[in-house]
Amino acid sequence: MSEVEERNQESVATGMETAWTSRLSRREFVQKVGLAAVGLGAGPYILTACGGGTSSAGGGGGARSQLTILQWSHFVPRYDTWFDAYIKQWGEANNVNVKVDHINQADLPARTAAEVNAGSGHDLIEWIAPPSALEPSVLDLTDVVQEAEKKYGSQLAVCKASTYNPTTKKYFGFCHSWSPDPGDYRKSLWTKAGMPNGPVTYDDLLNVGTTIKQQSGVRVGIGMSQEQDSNMAARALLWSYGASVQDAHENVVLDSDATREAVNFMVKLFKQAMTNEIFSWTAASNNQGLVAGQLSYILNSISAYRTAQQTRPDIADDIFFRPALQGPTGKGFASEHVIMIYIIPKWSKNVDKAKQFLLDLVGHTSDIVYQSELYNFPAFSKTNAQQKLFSAGGWLDKDPFGSHPADKLSLLKNAASWSVNVGYPGPSNAAIGEIFDTFVLPNMMASAARGTKTVDQAVSDAAAQCRQIFAKWRQQKLVGGGS
Amino acid sequence: MMERTVGVRRVAARWRLPERPGFLGALMLSPALLYLVGLVGFPLVLSFIYAFSDVTTGNPNVHLVGLSTFAAAVRDPVFGVALRNTFVFTFFSQALVIVLSTVLAFGLSTDFPGKWVVRFLILLPWTTPVALGAVAWLWMLDSIFSPFDWVLSALGLIHQGTHIPFLGQARLAMGSIVVLQTWRMLPLATVILMAGLTSIPQDIQDAAAVDGAGFWRRLVHVILPLLQPIMLVALLFGIVFTFTDIAVIFVLTGGGPDNSTQVLASWAFYKGINGGNLAQGAATALFMFPVLLGLAVLLLRIASRAEVT
Repeated sequence: MSEVEERNQESVATGMETAWTSRLSRREFVQKVGLAAVGLGAGPYILTACGGGTSSAGGGGGARSQLTILQWSHFVPRYDTWFDAYIKQWGEANNVNVKVDHINQADLPARTAAEVNAGSGHDLIEWIAPPSALEPSVLDLTDVVQEAEKKYGSQLAVCKASTYNPTTKKYFGFCHSWSPDPGDYRKSLWTKAGMPNGPVTYDDLLNVGTTIKQQSGVRVGIGMSQEQDSNMAARALLWSYGASVQDAHENVVLDSDATREAVNFMVKLFKQAMTNEIFSWTAASNNQGLVAGQLSYILNSISAYRTAQQTRPDIADDIFFRPALQGPTGKGFASEHVIMIYIIPKWSKNVDKAKQFLLDLVGHTSDIVYQSELYNFPAFSKTNAQQKLFSAGGWLDKDPFGSHPADKLSLLKNAASWSVNVGYPGPSNAAIGEIFDTFVLPNMMASAARGTKTVDQAVSDAAAQCRQIFAKWRQQKLVGGGS
Repeated sequence: MMERTVGVRRVAARWRLPERPGFLGALMLSPALLYLVGLVGFPLVLSFIYAFSDVTTGNPNVHLVGLSTFAAAVRDPVFGVALRNTFVFTFFSQALVIVLSTVLAFGLSTDFPGKWVVRFLILLPWTTPVALGAVAWLWMLDSIFSPFDWVLSALGLIHQGTHIPFLGQARLAMGSIVVLQTWRMLPLATVILMAGLTSIPQDIQDAAAVDGAGFWRRLVHVILPLLQPIMLVALLFGIVFTFTDIAVIFVLTGGGPDNSTQVLASWAFYKGINGGNLAQGAATALFMFPVLLGLAVLLLRIASRAEVT
């Protein structure tokens, strides 16, 4: 260190000491604090203006672009670990600095709403429900879907109906994968009750579920609460009874005999095979109840089973699956359990890279499926996952994550044939989104089951709510139909 | 030379500015004022604008539609339930808080062994983040695994395997919410009342004792009247916090079962943010505004009249 530098340092140190040890007058105090405040407040702006505030990993290359992604923390932690490593490699290969923020899926609506109101935020946002209300603030992704279909085959109906608005003829999101929502049952209990392969119809569920409850006190666990599993269960029941909120042309048709029949069934199921625990269901309740041996049948994705494999392998071996139960129509439908949809907001500064990311991600569908432990299913018909997942001897026939028997999940091979979008038989439009997120259908079921309303009243009130919601969104020109 | 003198005077005048009456006060207050304008005033104005528009979460462009959003909010069948529940939730939880905090404040003002441990335990809920406290209660009131069920069963009060639907039955759910809110708000009210108790001059109490007033007479005719202004402050804080609270309901019941525990704040959130109907959410939330404004004015006027002397 030179003599001059030493002197300078000494001088600075002495000055600081003097400043802190001597008594400041009020005027000096105000002057110093004022200057410090101006310095602190303006500092970042000055730094930014000088180019010092935006240092990048690229080290001044200048050509390296930025891409920010907001997405949910996957229910299967392995997926996020893989994704973060994948996106880093993708960024390096494409000369992009990528920043990924994972947040709880329940926080996504509020966070996205805040970004829309601010008019700035992430370049890509992933939702696990159709973000139809966001359509005015996001880019039409028709070109990305068409390009993906050219490369990876046609998009599944459940995925298209969750992202395409036939009224505006726009894709407001890009679905890269989805999860089925089968029935999960405890084989030992159903075997004892004389139905070892589990229920096929809703009548089976009522009759044998009642027997199991009488035999062992173990209940059926279908929620009628203000949470998503209850929402999906209510819809599955309605569809299998031939009822729905809207028809294919987006007219409200909830107030029907088929709906009343379905609600009547739910009342019976509650009285005979369940208890009022299902009115306070949370998203975790059915998983916990099934694993704890307190529930004989639930509707859920395979995540509950995967958890049991880790924590209670003996219980996991007793959990088996059923496709959607059939109603009196002879048909059975279930809602997709989770639908992974990316949106590109209009404020995105790197649209081309964002679209490239989406296309490249579909090219890695095999990784998406495997790293999610078969939770995610492909959204396109000819990806590199189809052969590995669906072929004879593939992952669903021989679960790489240790199922006993190994082909326990093989019934999910045809899950796409009984899985539909939440707005079925119409699209997942903004009105359906509001009805879903304000829990109109599970509350319709709950009010009849609790006896606070008659079945007729419950259905007619819910239909009135749906009509009001549809009318509002039609004014926004986001929903078709007229009644 | 003349110009130089004028310049020096200007500089001197500029540096004397901080010493001008009122300037320093205004300067010191300005951060708080900026905070209030930015984080309270601006959102309030924004919510008024939203409530008179048809704005959605996906379309922030404001098209004014008059009172039709308010009409839609009121027509919604859940609105009436939420409005009633907001008052029920506030009234019962604050009634419990004010009674229990008064008892606790008296108890904690006296000397007894382990007083600091008791004080620490009672203040603990206030230091716990509300979401964390509510999640802990959610687990304790679980429909299948509640430890309360286990304890009641062990005491022989309920059959083994029976589950009390703490959150699955409308009245029990509302009761659970009131209890949780009471647990949360109790420490703040207790601290405020303890501070109030210490501010009551000891000689007034001594004089009453010399005149032959026993504990209850001193309590009813001396201490409580003198404590009343402080009690009103505690009540005001409690009412404002409870009337606008969303966290407890959001975590514990999500407004269920069947919307029976929905309050205005939670319904505004579900409708406005999750449902995408931002305008109706804002309109629903604004129904709290006149009530809170009226309450604040009323209680502050009462508190300012009744001064401790």
